[in-house]
Amino acid sequence: MKSKKITALLTAAVLTVSLLAGCSSGSGGGSSAGNSEYAGTKISFLNSKGEIQSGLEEMAEAFEKGTGIVVDIMACGAGEVPYTKITSAYNSGTAPTMAMLDTTDIIALAEEYALDLSDAEWIGEAEAQITRVNDKVYSFPFCVEGRGLIYNKTAIEDTLGTNFDPSSINSYDALKSLLEQLRAAGMENPVVISKEDWSLGAHQLGFIYDAYDGTTKGADDIMAQLKGGLDPLEYARFNEFVDTLDLLLEYNINGKNPLGALYEQDPIFLVDGDAAIWANGVWAWPNLTDAGAESSDEYGFLPFVLGNDTSDFANNGIQAAASKQVMIDKVQASEQEQNAAKEFLNWIVYNETGQQMLVETCAVIPACGNNKNEPLDPLGKDIQQKMADGKAFSSSFIAPSDHWSVMGAAMQKYIAKESSREELAQSLSGYWKAQ
Amino acid sequence: MGRNKSEKLKNMCIFALPGIFVFCAVVIIPFIYGFYLTLTDWNGVSQVKNLVGFTNYGEVFKDADFWNSMLLTLKYVLFSVLLVNLVAFLLAYMLTNGVKGQNFFRTGFFTPNLIGGVVLGFIWQFIFSRVLVNFGEATGWGIFSTSWLSDPNKAFWSMVIVTVWQLSGYMMIIYIAGFTGLSTDVMEAASIDGATGFQRLKSIILPLMVPSFVICLFLTLSRAFMVYDVNLTLTGGEPYGTTRLVAMHVYEKAFTARNYGVGQAEALFLFLIVACISGVQIYMGKRKEVEA
Repeated sequence: MKSKKITALLTAAVLTVSLLAGCSSGSGGGSSAGNSEYAGTKISFLNSKGEIQSGLEEMAEAFEKGTGIVVDIMACGAGEVPYTKITSAYNSGTAPTMAMLDTTDIIALAEEYALDLSDAEWIGEAEAQITRVNDKVYSFPFCVEGRGLIYNKTAIEDTLGTNFDPSSINSYDALKSLLEQLRAAGMENPVVISKEDWSLGAHQLGFIYDAYDGTTKGADDIMAQLKGGLDPLEYARFNEFVDTLDLLLEYNINGKNPLGALYEQDPIFLVDGDAAIWANGVWAWPNLTDAGAESSDEYGFLPFVLGNDTSDFANNGIQAAASKQVMIDKVQASEQEQNAAKEFLNWIVYNETGQQMLVETCAVIPACGNNKNEPLDPLGKDIQQKMADGKAFSSSFIAPSDHWSVMGAAMQKYIAKESSREELAQSLSGYWKAQ
Repeated sequence: MGRNKSEKLKNMCIFALPGIFVFCAVVIIPFIYGFYLTLTDWNGVSQVKNLVGFTNYGEVFKDADFWNSMLLTLKYVLFSVLLVNLVAFLLAYMLTNGVKGQNFFRTGFFTPNLIGGVVLGFIWQFIFSRVLVNFGEATGWGIFSTSWLSDPNKAFWSMVIVTVWQLSGYMMIIYIAGFTGLSTDVMEAASIDGATGFQRLKSIILPLMVPSFVICLFLTLSRAFMVYDVNLTLTGGEPYGTTRLVAMHVYEKAFTARNYGVGQAEALFLFLIVACISGVQIYMGKRKEVEA
């Protein structure tokens, strides 16, 4: 009896203690030698670009070697929304010292949670890519991303048997005739349209905002007009966009069942030369590599042509802007951690190893002009070249956070031919009026 | 144990308090806090929460998408609960009659339940959008020629199929327990009285199995109402938002649209509906229970 009772008590005690064990937190961590005054500081970095996770970890290692500051790169899992992750991190008191987020999210968090970086030195290096909230800078532009129509030059030239000059595609008609030629030459369906809602809702439909006048301010303008009741059908860019979309859909390799498209299969069409054009952005390079593309292959961007004006900026350049921004936490991080984080950003901008690793290991296009390293992949190279030639516009529309999801569904309905142009316009104006 | 009052109190503290503590910490307090959040305009992250009274509840009634996904969820729950229990009961019936290798089959049917819903969703996504499509192309069967997940109606049934596949093994175990718990005396008496197999099933087995039905219905009901993982990874609400079940809608409202108050209010509605339905189901089921 006695021993039974003791066992029962012990069991209860063990269960209770193990419950509480979850609440305790381990602390400590070794300090390693380094030549920074913040050596030994441990900071964290939330990464929202899954494809560069291992690259960033390598960078953190190199940074630690040089400075002694430990940067823990936190991954944002596939399908996990970065904003949700950062929100729950803040609510549970475990906010990362630095967080890489989309511009929309940065703006939502800036004034309450982000450290004011208005006097950072690197602002001068990336003036065109800086986002300001009420005239203050809260975030570091981590990389530039651009989007348009990715083309496979070899596939086009092999099919047509002639040289292909991408700059000749500068109007709706030019694109139309290229597609007609490709079909006539045997490439039955030269276009790949992915069905992902983020791709359709944010990246494709987004052209109607970004191409308003090519600036973020212009995008804000047109959104305000739509909120104010502008009928999308009266807005030229919307109609031009739907025209081009219709054209692309006519030649869509997923055309038999547009919503049955598979994002893993889409790049394979392009790489194998079954198709020659994929409406997507520079972030698709890792997918293309997975599908068998090599850095030496010839890929590049055509503009997502809108209308027939060959002098239109939207037909001569592609959209490219800082899309991932890094903010430093000002609420939960100590001053020492904040300074260590600032040092990490400076290291990326000014340290030679940092510069090189950003471009080569992480394979992103730097937003800072002083970084002269050339991207290794052809898509990145093309965007950097286009930016240098002034053939890029830097608008990066900032829509409410559910825009991609709500309008993505409307776009899916449209590409599945379950809704008409009028209905798509109605969804769009309905969405904006509800804001 | 427990000879006098203080002893009783001591024992209660030792054995019940940890449980009560956990229950409060993970259920009661979040529930009350959640209710408080429905009265605010919180966006999920800002440090200031303004009290806005009951306007969020008004928003819930204006949110047509919420009620649509609620209807869809009711439809999903209806079909999954019926099919899961039907399949589970039949499996259990077959696997308690001394089929050769029944332990092997029991394990086999139970295994899907050990796979997490997220992984399960990905596996079936692959099956529906790849395997079946290839199969359809090879055999020329029209029904499989396009991905089921790209058609609103078929995508809905895909979810039901996956749910049935996942849950019926679990429910089967409970029914098997029910079957093995049947008193052999009663069964023997029925045989002697000349009851046929179907009569035995209808008049003896089913009434005696009511406790198993009550627990299985309750488990399937609550799991089907709250389903999120399979919904997320199998269809993701696609095509064009037609398979968005209510839990996913609430999540999108709270986190994607950053409308925490409204999302929380909708979650509360969901809770009330599930609580009512499960409560009624248990009450009715308990009344039908009989003693052997």
